[in-house]
Amino acid sequence: MSDPRISRRTMLRGAGTATVGFPLLEEMISRPAQAAAAAEPPVRAFNIFFGLGVPAPLQTEGFSGVLEPLKPLSDKLLIMRNVDQVRCDEKGINAHYDGATGAFTAQPPDGEAKAGGGSIEQMVRRGLYPKGLPSGMVPTLIGGTFFRRSRVGRYVHSFNPDGTVAATMQEKPRDLFERVFGTITVAGAGTDARRQRLKRSILDSVVEDYRFYTGKQSPLGARSRSRVADHLDRIREFEQRAFALKHKKKNGPSLPRRSIIPHGGPADPGGQGIDITLEELSTEWRLMADLYALAIQTDRVRFGSLTFLAAGERIRLKGEYRFGGKKMWDFDDAGQQRAGGDQGCSHEWWHKFNEKRKNEALRAHAHMKMREVAYFLARLDDSESRDVNGRTILDNAMITISTESGDGRHNDVKRELSGVFHAITGANRRFKTGQIMDVGAEGLDVYNTMLAGMGVSQRLGPTNRPMQPVDKIRA
Amino acid sequence: MLSGRCQPKGHGPAKVIGTWLLISVLVCAFPGAIKAQRVSGGLQALYTFTEGKGNLISDRSGVGRPLNLAIEKPATVKWQSGSLLIRSSTRIASTGPATKLINSIRKSRAVTLEAWIRPANTRQDGPARIVTISANPNVRDITFGQDAGLYNVRLRSTATSTNGEPSTSTRPGTATVALTHVVYTRDPGGTARIFLNGKPAAAKRISGDLGNWDARFRLLLANEGSGDRPWLGSFHLVALYSRALSPREVQQNHRAGAAASNRPPAELAMQQRQQFFETRIAPLLARHCLDCHDTVAAKGGLDLSHKATTFKGGKSGKVIVPGKAAESRIWKRVAANEMPKKTKPLSNTDKKLIETWINDGATWSGDLIDPAVYANRTRGIWIQRLTVAEYIETVRSDTGIDIADEARKLLPPDIRADGFSNTAYNLGVDLKHIEAYSRLAEMIVAKLDVLKFAARFSRSRKLSTDATMRQLVESMGKWLFRGPLEEREVTNYSGIATTVASTGGDFKEAVGFILEAMLQSPRFIYRIEMQRGDGSSWPVNDFELASRLSYIIWGAPPDQQLMKAAQASQLGSAKRIAIEAARMLKDPRAIRQSERFISEWLDLDRLANLKPDPDRFEEFDPELARDMRRETLAFFNELAWKRKRPLSELLNAQFTYATPKLARHYGLKPRGPGLERYDLSGVASRGGLLTQGSTLTIGGDDASMVTRGLFVLNDFLRGQVKDPPPGVDTTPVPLRSGLSHRRVSEQRLANVACAGCHKRFEPIAFALEKFDGVGRFREVDEHGNRVREDGMIQMPGTSRPIAYKTSAELMNLLAGSDRVRATMTWKLAQFAVGRPLGAADAASVRSIHQAAWKAGGSWSDLVTALVTSDLVMMTRTQSDTQTTTGQGTEKQPAP
Repeated sequence: MSDPRISRRTMLRGAGTATVGFPLLEEMISRPAQAAAAAEPPVRAFNIFFGLGVPAPLQTEGFSGVLEPLKPLSDKLLIMRNVDQVRCDEKGINAHYDGATGAFTAQPPDGEAKAGGGSIEQMVRRGLYPKGLPSGMVPTLIGGTFFRRSRVGRYVHSFNPDGTVAATMQEKPRDLFERVFGTITVAGAGTDARRQRLKRSILDSVVEDYRFYTGKQSPLGARSRSRVADHLDRIREFEQRAFALKHKKKNGPSLPRRSIIPHGGPADPGGQGIDITLEELSTEWRLMADLYALAIQTDRVRFGSLTFLAAGERIRLKGEYRFGGKKMWDFDDAGQQRAGGDQGCSHEWWHKFNEKRKNEALRAHAHMKMREVAYFLARLDDSESRDVNGRTILDNAMITISTESGDGRHNDVKRELSGVFHAITGANRRFKTGQIMDVGAEGLDVYNTMLAGMGVSQRLGPTNRPMQPVDKIRA
Repeated sequence: MLSGRCQPKGHGPAKVIGTWLLISVLVCAFPGAIKAQRVSGGLQALYTFTEGKGNLISDRSGVGRPLNLAIEKPATVKWQSGSLLIRSSTRIASTGPATKLINSIRKSRAVTLEAWIRPANTRQDGPARIVTISANPNVRDITFGQDAGLYNVRLRSTATSTNGEPSTSTRPGTATVALTHVVYTRDPGGTARIFLNGKPAAAKRISGDLGNWDARFRLLLANEGSGDRPWLGSFHLVALYSRALSPREVQQNHRAGAAASNRPPAELAMQQRQQFFETRIAPLLARHCLDCHDTVAAKGGLDLSHKATTFKGGKSGKVIVPGKAAESRIWKRVAANEMPKKTKPLSNTDKKLIETWINDGATWSGDLIDPAVYANRTRGIWIQRLTVAEYIETVRSDTGIDIADEARKLLPPDIRADGFSNTAYNLGVDLKHIEAYSRLAEMIVAKLDVLKFAARFSRSRKLSTDATMRQLVESMGKWLFRGPLEEREVTNYSGIATTVASTGGDFKEAVGFILEAMLQSPRFIYRIEMQRGDGSSWPVNDFELASRLSYIIWGAPPDQQLMKAAQASQLGSAKRIAIEAARMLKDPRAIRQSERFISEWLDLDRLANLKPDPDRFEEFDPELARDMRRETLAFFNELAWKRKRPLSELLNAQFTYATPKLARHYGLKPRGPGLERYDLSGVASRGGLLTQGSTLTIGGDDASMVTRGLFVLNDFLRGQVKDPPPGVDTTPVPLRSGLSHRRVSEQRLANVACAGCHKRFEPIAFALEKFDGVGRFREVDEHGNRVREDGMIQMPGTSRPIAYKTSAELMNLLAGSDRVRATMTWKLAQFAVGRPLGAADAASVRSIHQAAWKAGGSWSDLVTALVTSDLVMMTRTQSDTQTTTGQGTEKQPAP
């Protein structure tokens, strides 16, 4: 059931059938729309999250252990060990959620659907694009393949500075495609120029009204004004797509197929977990990863986050796992644990981790996650990801890869939230790559060092806490 | 059969346990306590004329840089006790421009000018200037004057002359030589009012904006700047606010009297110390100390959750010596980083707070610190977007069009946060919303008889670009936007008609496009309220209140009657609101809204995704899950609406509803083909919400005692527990023959590392062990172990667990618990205001709880108490100096 790989080239050729409703803009896919004219590649930043983590002891094995799938990309990555998120531990809140929300924000969560502050890539976006991104661009793209939804911080990893989510999660590949490449049909506008004009007049009036509520005379407080400003931005994007981008490619690509695996509420039946095969999982994820990569390659997106399995993920995985032509493991979480429901989920392997034992099932899961993360990263390093400086998007973008915990046993905060796996890219030679480094620092200081390296003046975390730069990660 | 009362099972009548004392303490600077005082929210300048001598009149507002006034000719005035008599012409003027007044009023677009005065005669005119911000007799921002026997106020706006004409006047004969309280208010919508001695005396619409106020003008009393409009008489008090006081607040200031000024220093100081405790110290103790030193744990014999036990001390003696931090054991141990144990030391800031608190006398307001009050630390005020359900109801109520199917298909679902899907901070928008709102607006207009709809607001069918169309826009907009339109809005939406006219369109088409735009406007999509202020609580205005009432009670917009009451400013009193609430509760929309609450509180939507292991639960299917949901809603409806019983009986009422399939699942003999009522008075195992499949399935396939116990603790008792402590393997222990859930749980409770938290919730779930993961009753588990139903319950904040022998006994204990009732009040209040509640809300919620349960505790009683409370009638404002990012802090009182 695996899909043909979607790339910019295949998009441009068209996948065969003409589709109605998703006419792809030729200029969208023939070249990176905004970036092509520039001498320097645009600043981009993305967070990649994977659930459950890599226990710190396994990270010491380097590429000979579960990190093996990252080896081909090792020159482009800085793998950081001993990065701590201990400040994120909150009493009375599930540690999966603490660690997950702390990844990229370095701050404890603030409610079920809020982070304690902005995520690093949103800080970059606001710092370096204070007037917003070029028109028509998707300001933030959040996507993911995941099956645990009880708290938003488990699966969303892109937050505004006030801690609210930076955009709606697109969890179906189709939705993500539509969000990035779909054009909007303005109801009733048709091609009639007069009606087009009238429809635009409506939108003008609406925009005018929203502008008032973001201005000095607004009766609204700061957070509400910010929320209305977001709404206004979305209207402008809508306007751009509805009226400005009219040149449609007639023989556009097919809309991605419908998802077979469950999404939304059915994807998380009360925390009891779902049964899924490795093929189903990786097929869905790779389609999502392809589309997300395509959105970056076509310069439709410069900021956002992508999630491969949520924090505290609950799946009962089945199927043969092969890597590099070699059989690695037979996934059968429920059977191997002799349990159904939540107790038969892969999540339990993390609770059972014991560094004195083999931890074979956990290793296989972690290895598989690295394989899938590497799949996405490799998409940004291929020939279609070449930027104007001759390097690839993977070289030029600031990409942070992290997870929720350094251990997962829920039995020692320091072990659980210390040594959380982190990897970053070089961000156009701003940060070192090609190393596995023992950083020995708080996530907060790592992230703030990265912000400094990106030339962003704002910092994450408490304002009264002096920053402790981690200069050894800077190039 | 069941009699009129729900008869609890078990040992006699339900015993009332627990007390509301648990929420007792926490009052922020919230309204209830300040009613005997003058209104302070929005105050910008205050003159009390208590100087007694000299030529300087001090601004005693305490807001910003004082705008003091100088008396030009001291010989013409006479200081009296609490007043200043102007005997002959003089000028009393600020030494510089009235910048703080002008800037704040320009920003808020609203003003209140208040004066206690005694005119010397009823002949002086001009008008004679009593209070003015102006340059000369013809150019002003605002002037309050006396014109013989009446009072006159000229206010400049973008729609008036520079002289403030047209002005607002009271009737002739209303200005007398008696001491009089005169208040002029003008709200952002343009409604100007004059009150005399607390009663309305004049009203007028002064439209336009105040953005053209000149910031160079001075504040003057008793004359114009030019010196040729003198006023004679005595000043007792003058105050200016950057907002329009409500009629209720005007009455409050009138009751406070002419001599009212700031509170006595000692009282103020005490209030500040109490506030400091409530907002800084109590949260700190709750967060860092109560894990080990609350009533349950009380390590070292020390319970820091109660005032009495805190000052009594522990096994080692007293821990606090008020006024002497250095002699206080608690401070010494905190300072030495010996406390809190096994965790990181307090920050220097927190240490300093404790030291300051003790040195300032260790003031402790109330009796008990309830950690649940501090559990939510979400700060800030977010605008409330209509949820999908509210959008559907709003369209239906406003236009008569049912757009439910289309809206549910097009709009992204609202995500549950903090237990409810209407939590404002999580109601963001994305591109899909914008597209959906646009498409839905067109669908609504297409379904609507546009001409008939327009006829409700205007007789004209002429496509004009003049006043006729503006009147239609104003009238139609007021209905759709749930309040009057401002000039800019009328102009903005009327502009669409101009565009249609210029392209050869007709009246119908123009109204259709205007409607489309209005249905996408911020005032339709969001519930917009005035949020900017000085950080204190202000009353919401009548239209805002009308919307709050209707969305709380119906999940829908105000109807015509409510809008009329708002227009007539009749919603200022709790009595009138209670009358409106009683009317509204008879509407079927009130029932639908209550069902939304119960569904969200118990997370009934979860049932739609339930997929128990088919190997273990063969007969379970989606239909059974739907039946479980229907059971709970029908049960709730009978109790809350048909029988109007106290909501606490949800825990132990002896009836239920079931389909034949669900009845068989429960072991009941089916009574009929559909959803039938079943009397449970003879069924020992069932009765009440917690014995229904909808809640029993929360424990998952294995009927987890931990999950079930936590559910009851969190959602019925508002209890708080922390994460498992380090060193404990949290992997669920597989059951087997000889090892039942109960046994595993008892082993956990015997472990000191687990018991501290688990004893707070797990023994509650003992009562449910006889129900399996899908809610079937059993005497023996899957492994052949006999299961039990006896256990203990420890109410949060109490020290002694209460034993129960049966599930029914536990249900009776819960139904009789004030903690459970208080939790219901708290949950409903959160749902009503659309945000998690915190310390600042505790006093209001306590008042609601007391009023509701004193009245009987039915759904109607709770809703009525809620909508007549300060939680609904007041709003927290945000000052522009408060931090705007999520990483900042809210304004905090100093000790």
